[in-house]
Amino acid sequence: MPAPLMSPAGGPPALWDPIIRLSHWALAIVVLVNAVLTRGGSALHVWVGWIGLGVLALRLIWGLVGTREARFSSFPPQPLAALRHLGELARGTPRQYGSHNPAGAMMVYALWGAMAVVMATGLVMTGGKTPVQVSQTQSVIESGDWTTLAIDDESGDDDSETDAGGKQGGLAHLAEELHEVAANLILFLAFLHVAGVFVESRVMRKNLTAAMLTGRSDNRGA
Amino acid sequence: MPVRAPITAERRQGIILVAFLVIQTLAAVFYIGDVFGDLAGHGVSAHLVVEALVTLALVLAIGFGAIRLRRTLDVLRAQEAALEVARGALGEVIDGQFGAWGLTPAERDVGMLALKGLDVAEIAEVRGAAQGTVRAQLTRIYSKAGVSGRAQFAAFFVEDLMGAGLHAKPAE
Repeated sequence: MPAPLMSPAGGPPALWDPIIRLSHWALAIVVLVNAVLTRGGSALHVWVGWIGLGVLALRLIWGLVGTREARFSSFPPQPLAALRHLGELARGTPRQYGSHNPAGAMMVYALWGAMAVVMATGLVMTGGKTPVQVSQTQSVIESGDWTTLAIDDESGDDDSETDAGGKQGGLAHLAEELHEVAANLILFLAFLHVAGVFVESRVMRKNLTAAMLTGRSDNRGA
Repeated sequence: MPVRAPITAERRQGIILVAFLVIQTLAAVFYIGDVFGDLAGHGVSAHLVVEALVTLALVLAIGFGAIRLRRTLDVLRAQEAALEVARGALGEVIDGQFGAWGLTPAERDVGMLALKGLDVAEIAEVRGAAQGTVRAQLTRIYSKAGVSGRAQFAAFFVEDLMGAGLHAKPAE
């Protein structure tokens, strides 16, 4: 197949490294699966959440030691610069950045923050149990042995009015609320993120989605 | 035909390192979870100490793996940049030779497309010209270059590249 007619500047630069792309799509899938497909509290939900935790941890490590565009120092959180970028975007004259643009950077941190909250509260809700333990507990309960439940309920949400029980119940309840709110926040942010990518791709005449899939951004214009 | 970056040892290593890193991180997260679970459940024990050491080793391995991957990716990018330069250099050589043969701008375009491996029909389509026109242009190009046909025309430039490289395949 013929190559597109000689691009004057040679090929496009390599943009997103494999870890960035992998973590991006893995987290997107984790969010979608746990928001839509799995039942909250199910072993599968917990499994997927822990996988998300691992992927996010890897991305954060990569933010310290990774490639230039992956490092936090390449996209520091700058709210004012983010607003300026949105203004430039509205006027159709956005600048190019070597990593996430300032608005994108704020989105990245917001999404990571919301994910961290969801994961942390999820851990509180499951008592920090690993998915293996959660699966075990649930299969034991399904087999008809409810004694584990009774032990669990010390930290559970029944309203036994002992002082410690009340406090822990309150914490569990708070965690549950936060889990729900932060999860919805992720979905809202993800929607904004997709809209932003769409607008930016249009204005900059760049296929940003392809760049995140293959690591390259082809200039469609020039 | 687009020149693909070859699958070099570095590229393979990069893919393997990414896979390892992902598996290691997932394993580490589950291990850390297990350590904390044990700590809450049973307190400090010999078993826990060993487990914590294993986890620590895993975390360190992840750090080193990540740094190693960064280096590999940097090497890959340097190679790709070098390849771009080589491509650009070849383009300049071809351009200069076309000039020396006195090709017209239209003939230069057709010649370049022919070198890229497009056949007459494809060149005609790309340029929005009749196939007969393209055929005539190619004939003129071959006669100006003093070559017998397309194969010799392409070989003219490949020969330059191979001049020093006949002795051996480069070791990956």
